[in-house]
Amino acid sequence: MQEQVQRLRDAALKRKVEFAEVRFASVRSSSLMLQDGRADRVGTAERAGMGVRVIWKGAWGFACTESVRYSDWRRCLDAALDMAKVSAAYAQEPVTLADAPAVVDEVHTEYAIDPAQVSLERKFAAVRGYEEASGCRAGDHIANLRTGYSDSHLREIVCNSRGACVSSDTVRTMVWHAITTQDGAVRQQALEKRARQCGFELVETTPALELSVKAAARARSLLWAKPAPAGSFPAVFHPSITGLLVHEAVGHNAEADAVLSGQSILAGRLGARIAAECITIVDDATVPGSWGSYRYDSEGVAGRRRVLVDHGVLTGFLHSLETAARMGVAPNGAARADGFMHRPLVRMSNTIIQPGEQSLEDLIRDIDLGILLRGGQWGYVWCDKGQYTCHAGEGVMIREGQLAEQVRDVAVSGLTLETLANVLGVSRDFELDMPGNCGKDGQSIPTNGGGPYVKVKEIVVGGQA
Amino acid sequence: MTQAGPEDLLAIADAACRAAMRAGADFADASVERGRSMSVAVEKNALKSSDTRGWASISVRAFSAGATGWASVSGTGLVAARGAGRKAAELARAAESDPGFVDLVHPAAYPDVAGLFDPRLVEVTAVEVAGWITGNIDGARGVVDDALVTGTARASWWEWALANNLGVAVTQPGTSATVNLQVVIRRGDDVGSYHEWDAARSLAQFAPGAVGPAAATEALRYLDSRRMKTGTLPVVFGPSAAAAFLQGVCAAASAEEVQRNRSFLVGKKEARIAAECLTLVDDPLIAGGLSSAVSDGDGFPHVRVPLVKEGVLQTYLHNHYTANKSGERNTGHSTRGGIACTNIIPSLGVRTASQIIAEVTDGVYVALAQPHPDTASGQMSALVDAGFRIKNGQLTYPLKNTMIAGLAPELLLGLDAISSDYRAEPGRVLPTLRLQGVRVASGEGA
Repeated sequence: MQEQVQRLRDAALKRKVEFAEVRFASVRSSSLMLQDGRADRVGTAERAGMGVRVIWKGAWGFACTESVRYSDWRRCLDAALDMAKVSAAYAQEPVTLADAPAVVDEVHTEYAIDPAQVSLERKFAAVRGYEEASGCRAGDHIANLRTGYSDSHLREIVCNSRGACVSSDTVRTMVWHAITTQDGAVRQQALEKRARQCGFELVETTPALELSVKAAARARSLLWAKPAPAGSFPAVFHPSITGLLVHEAVGHNAEADAVLSGQSILAGRLGARIAAECITIVDDATVPGSWGSYRYDSEGVAGRRRVLVDHGVLTGFLHSLETAARMGVAPNGAARADGFMHRPLVRMSNTIIQPGEQSLEDLIRDIDLGILLRGGQWGYVWCDKGQYTCHAGEGVMIREGQLAEQVRDVAVSGLTLETLANVLGVSRDFELDMPGNCGKDGQSIPTNGGGPYVKVKEIVVGGQA
Repeated sequence: MTQAGPEDLLAIADAACRAAMRAGADFADASVERGRSMSVAVEKNALKSSDTRGWASISVRAFSAGATGWASVSGTGLVAARGAGRKAAELARAAESDPGFVDLVHPAAYPDVAGLFDPRLVEVTAVEVAGWITGNIDGARGVVDDALVTGTARASWWEWALANNLGVAVTQPGTSATVNLQVVIRRGDDVGSYHEWDAARSLAQFAPGAVGPAAATEALRYLDSRRMKTGTLPVVFGPSAAAAFLQGVCAAASAEEVQRNRSFLVGKKEARIAAECLTLVDDPLIAGGLSSAVSDGDGFPHVRVPLVKEGVLQTYLHNHYTANKSGERNTGHSTRGGIACTNIIPSLGVRTASQIIAEVTDGVYVALAQPHPDTASGQMSALVDAGFRIKNGQLTYPLKNTMIAGLAPELLLGLDAISSDYRAEPGRVLPTLRLQGVRVASGEGA
């Protein structure tokens, strides 16, 4: 297939384009779900196709096809060129791309057990163990149990007209458990998942205690937890939700396409202090095995560790070849595409706040009334206003410097620059374990996030009490 | 990019089903889809890129003693279709039997639903699509000189065919046109922004030219936003926020969620779930409706479904499986893997949105938000993406960093007004709603 990719790239060059990038992607995935004790459904998907992007007279054109036939690819190249001609008729400034090494490489995920070689029976047996353990923990308050397993093998070949040609094979495995509990009219849910770039060994190294039992314990205890309060409170983010905070509040704003489009609250602040001195934020594509990691981005540029905020000072953004050229900096390998159907966008990888020196006890000692937030669920941000929200799995009230009662239904909101300036401390604890898929412009990309406990002077809690 | 026609797609779906049956499945269905879209993106008032996408895929479900196996593959080739059919049958045997499964949808006549396919959208050029959005840049800047416009215009065309081993054979071509825009206005550190959109199934119903000016006009109103005091207040949902809230409520009416005991609407069929002023109909038959179609994902003919009548839940949303399992009437809401509502039409009230707001002494107006209640707990907690403080019947100042929260069962009973005027989108009626007793959390302020 690599030969066919290079052949189309060469064909594009003969069409007098200034830049051509051909990206083939195929994904084979399998998934299964156990529900309330029964092997409920099993599925597979095999999708493959090619996307081609060209610059013609300084303007972008992109086309893709869900086909592996070269004749379809040739038509697709014609379409991409036609698109670029439309762009060129309207474009105001010609697109330029930053220089990057013309890497030729083949990389693949390291794994111990190839998921494709594991039988369905073995996969079902593994998830059944999780479900049984959950059932024991939640007892007679179970309303519904679901346990799922999935794996995928993504093969991506990117070749561009500058000589870069990278082939990558990425294997991802995920296991999850969702439980609904009930006490009278009250229902609560909890979800735990583990997801990494690895093989089936993920399941064999994830004990039920860290997955289904954990979810069951939370879903059960939430039944009797009080609703969260409403108002503005001092807050401490548990490491399991710090990743969501940094992803929504900072990460999206640090994507250079948002900065250049005037959408980001961080535009014009490079080199300025935007956060408390204890805050250092890194987006690191090189964390071994992490869900959000990659060796090369979808432009064939090596992923790397990128310091976005260094001791409170904004030091950089995430870049594609185009945004790097427009800002006059070196590209840093943050252009990622969701399969062959999309052009690369500037995206995060594993986004973290670096740990500090304090303990959790240090952070909560002087809080008379506050809230500890645990378990990042979902969130989003309006970059232009820097206004974000994060939904947590649970909360624990902090009273007179001590952790007190559990609360449920906890969502918070804040303003990026205020939150960053109001950080009062970070702990030495650290977790990078919030694998998920981040959406942007209709594309979904695997990312991860994490960090230490983070203490914020105040945050708005959208509770009911 | 693929040259198969709708009848060919049906033949491919049929071939996939036959392969699954030959491989030992008790039942099988297959859907085949191909399509193409063309989109033009604008960034900071300038055209950024033009894209065209082609897709083609086959998805097969096979059932063995009720256990489900599914397989999807790229392309619309017969070899791929048959391979997917065999694979789905093999996987179904690996799952465990489901006593709740009875059969698949049986053949029936399909309704005529007009206006879902516009041949002009198949032929539309990228230049025309570009015009939908570049015209809006000028429109926005006509309202505010320094408006920053970012967004996308898209034209899409697709064909979908579904067949099952009982003889169901349905095809559905579709088209759509959309413009989505974000306008940002900066005054020093102050930011006003707004998101607007237009969407239609045909060019005749598509009027994208007003999107940019509307977004710019709204963005201006959101400059100088402030916080407010935390309290329990009436909240008025504007058309977009109201639609998001009602869609979230309808998601809890999914029979799958109810049968699995994961919904706050368990046991609420034919019970009061909302104030008397709420009547909802789910209508997938509206000509040109954004969520209209002749059948659901199982191939069941679509019908108009009264969902809530004067506050009383009339039915859960069913697919063929859940309807058989509970012995209730199939409402035709399968998404082939899930259940979802289509075009939700609320009955209108007698006062205008302005009159409803004028009755609020102290409250909040929410224009944009994602106030979806959690399906299981009914808890709703949402950021006010764009909204205003209401004082003495007037929208006073825009809000920032403000959240709203409540329990859906209580919020629905606290619904005390639905406007007589509404935002009209193809197949959608989006009125304004007012809810009493909503917890509003913010920082400080008045």
